[in-house]
Amino acid sequence: MKTLFKIYVLIFVFIITSIIYLYVSLDKTQGILTDNINNLFISQAQEMSNNIQGEIVHYVPNHLYKILEKDIKLRHFLEQTLSPMINQSFQYIFVLYKDKDGSYRYLLDGSKEDKGEFSEKLNVEKKQWNSVYKNQKTDIFRHKKFATLWMTYLKPIVIDGKTEAIIAIDFSTKIPKNISEVLTPLNNIFYYIFIAVFIMLLILLYQTILNLKTKKESITDPLTKTYNRNYLKEILEHINIEKYQIIMLDIDHFKNVNDLYGHNIGDYVLRDIASLIQNEITSDDMFIRYGGEEFLLFIHKEKKGLDQANSIAENIRHTIQQHSFDYKESMLQITVSMGITCKPNHFKSISDAIKNADKMLYIAKRDGRNKVITQIDEDYVIDPTTQNLGINEIKDAIENSRLFCQYQALFSAKTGKITKYEALVRLKDSENTTVYPNRFITTVLHTNIYNQMTKEILHTVFSKIRQNRVAISVNLNFSDIINTDIFKIIIAKLEQNADFAPWLIVELLEYEVLEANEIFAENIKKIRSYGVKIAIDDFGAGFANYNVFQIIPIDIVKIDGSLIKNIDTSKKSKIIVQSIIVLTQELGIDTVAEFVHSKEVYEIVKSLGITTIQGFYLARPQDDLLIEK
Amino acid sequence: MLKKIVISLLLLPLLLSASSAEYEQKIYQTIFSSLFPQKETLYVWSDTPKNSRLIDNVSLFTKTSDINKADILLLSKDRDIKKQTPIFVTNYKLLKSYKQSAIGGFYWKKGRPNIVLLKNNLMKNHISIPSHMQKYIEND
Repeated sequence: MKTLFKIYVLIFVFIITSIIYLYVSLDKTQGILTDNINNLFISQAQEMSNNIQGEIVHYVPNHLYKILEKDIKLRHFLEQTLSPMINQSFQYIFVLYKDKDGSYRYLLDGSKEDKGEFSEKLNVEKKQWNSVYKNQKTDIFRHKKFATLWMTYLKPIVIDGKTEAIIAIDFSTKIPKNISEVLTPLNNIFYYIFIAVFIMLLILLYQTILNLKTKKESITDPLTKTYNRNYLKEILEHINIEKYQIIMLDIDHFKNVNDLYGHNIGDYVLRDIASLIQNEITSDDMFIRYGGEEFLLFIHKEKKGLDQANSIAENIRHTIQQHSFDYKESMLQITVSMGITCKPNHFKSISDAIKNADKMLYIAKRDGRNKVITQIDEDYVIDPTTQNLGINEIKDAIENSRLFCQYQALFSAKTGKITKYEALVRLKDSENTTVYPNRFITTVLHTNIYNQMTKEILHTVFSKIRQNRVAISVNLNFSDIINTDIFKIIIAKLEQNADFAPWLIVELLEYEVLEANEIFAENIKKIRSYGVKIAIDDFGAGFANYNVFQIIPIDIVKIDGSLIKNIDTSKKSKIIVQSIIVLTQELGIDTVAEFVHSKEVYEIVKSLGITTIQGFYLARPQDDLLIEK
Repeated sequence: MLKKIVISLLLLPLLLSASSAEYEQKIYQTIFSSLFPQKETLYVWSDTPKNSRLIDNVSLFTKTSDINKADILLLSKDRDIKKQTPIFVTNYKLLKSYKQSAIGGFYWKKGRPNIVLLKNNLMKNHISIPSHMQKYIEND
């Protein structure tokens, strides 16, 4: 872009210089031409005056006034010799003498019209005339006062060292007019060239502005006014990556914001966040909207330490967390997660360094979001088993029926018999290795593949229910319930399998963020109207809100595994679990204790009055149902 | 733009002629305010319409059709004038004709303005000549 700008500036300078050169050249040419024409007329006047002087002196060798005063015939004769020299260019030719009072009077006049009589006084330009009279040298001067005269050429007639008279030749104003006429075509050519060049300049200027504007628009994200991926593509070609650290930023639960409050608020949040980030960085840094709610930052690390990007990222995270996103009547609290590559130059390419920042971001999200994960150690190696699968790999797995469910049995605390199963989604990669959801769900989230995956899972689960007549639970996110497309898929599957719907249990994840949502509550009720049971997962973890029981109809509560797995050693966990059991028993809701991994834990949860128990102690997830004979 | 240039070119001679006429009016104003410093209004009788226009535009002059009332007669033609009123002529030929009665004349010669004041006739009319006008005096 800078090179393009330089080229335009060079073109401008070249054109302007050419115009100035042309103008100066033309002016100079005009000057030379005018001088030449002037000189031509002056030399003619000089020649004429010499002839006149020669003629006068020939006939009147001395006492000019006295002889001409007396000899009228000689006067007429001499005037006859002046007369033919008068033409359009030389308007008046006459000879004056100076009287004793210093006034100038006619001796001879070659004019036919406006003729001066002998001894008639003529008002002349005394300063110039006196100078010629005194100095006895020819002179030429220009008239400024009178419209009909241009210049006058004066030549003294000196006889015996005394100035006897002065020959005057008046140049007509037709001479400069003629010169001007000669130069007019030249001037016209210049004006046409000037106009053409000026129009060309305007077009060029317009094109330049248009180009710069288009160029800027093509690299700017219209919503957030940050750079976009086109700009990233451009800078990747010439950026000195040693000077930068890379931050990959993602807005936590942004899809929920869009789904819950609409795209206007989503756009507002994006704009506001971009503005907050912009305030935390400098003009040396580069800020790019990488994807929907993903931003990429190149932090210039000159003069600052290795933890510079981390410090900026923490500032951004803190600022956004503290900021209240107020839009009309909505007030939102938003958090962001970030991954940082501290030493991008240690990677094979910038793309790899960006990918690494993305992996760090994934870890930040996996570890609970609202976090900054920095890769500082240059030898840091990403565990390949934690790397996300690519979208094409996932698509390929679904299309080739490598998406499947494992089933973990849940046991009645009272009878010890299997009462239901939890379906756990898995897929096989190209090497036939089982891949867990943490490596593919985030990749396909908000894509059609995710919708297709939901459809496939529901199909598989209903097939299993139809075959075995057993209750099976599937995990669904809050966002799945409020997403129109996914909700339609769920309802369509329930309609197709209406007879088996009562065997299905929907386990809701991340329900705590959505409790105030009416659409969510309505959609849950609609699902439940088919006989589907509703369970909430991980209850007791995070900021468990009891209000959820008022908003949605709940059949089963799964107590958070972190409370169960150490219930044998933590008194607090046991008390919390007991309180949940009291609450659910009062509400008539079944309870599930998951993560039961030992006999000790099993015995305790059984004794506390838990309805159902799940865990590796009793059964691990299997590719098929663990049917009791 | 082209239209404006064409109009300007057409009006240029008019503007120049206006400028020449103004120049002439200033000369008349200067001559007569110098010759008649005590008069605020000078009644002028003229024999041609061209002169009438000139009289109208010189602030010192007031045109009169009554030759008896006139302070000065502005002549462009040779006439038999019996009156003793000061005469001022507009060409050299007339100045010679009225050599005995004209106080002076103003006319263009060789593209130059010429002022001639005749001393004897000015004296006859008891008109004194200020010092800055002395250079235009002709003794007879």
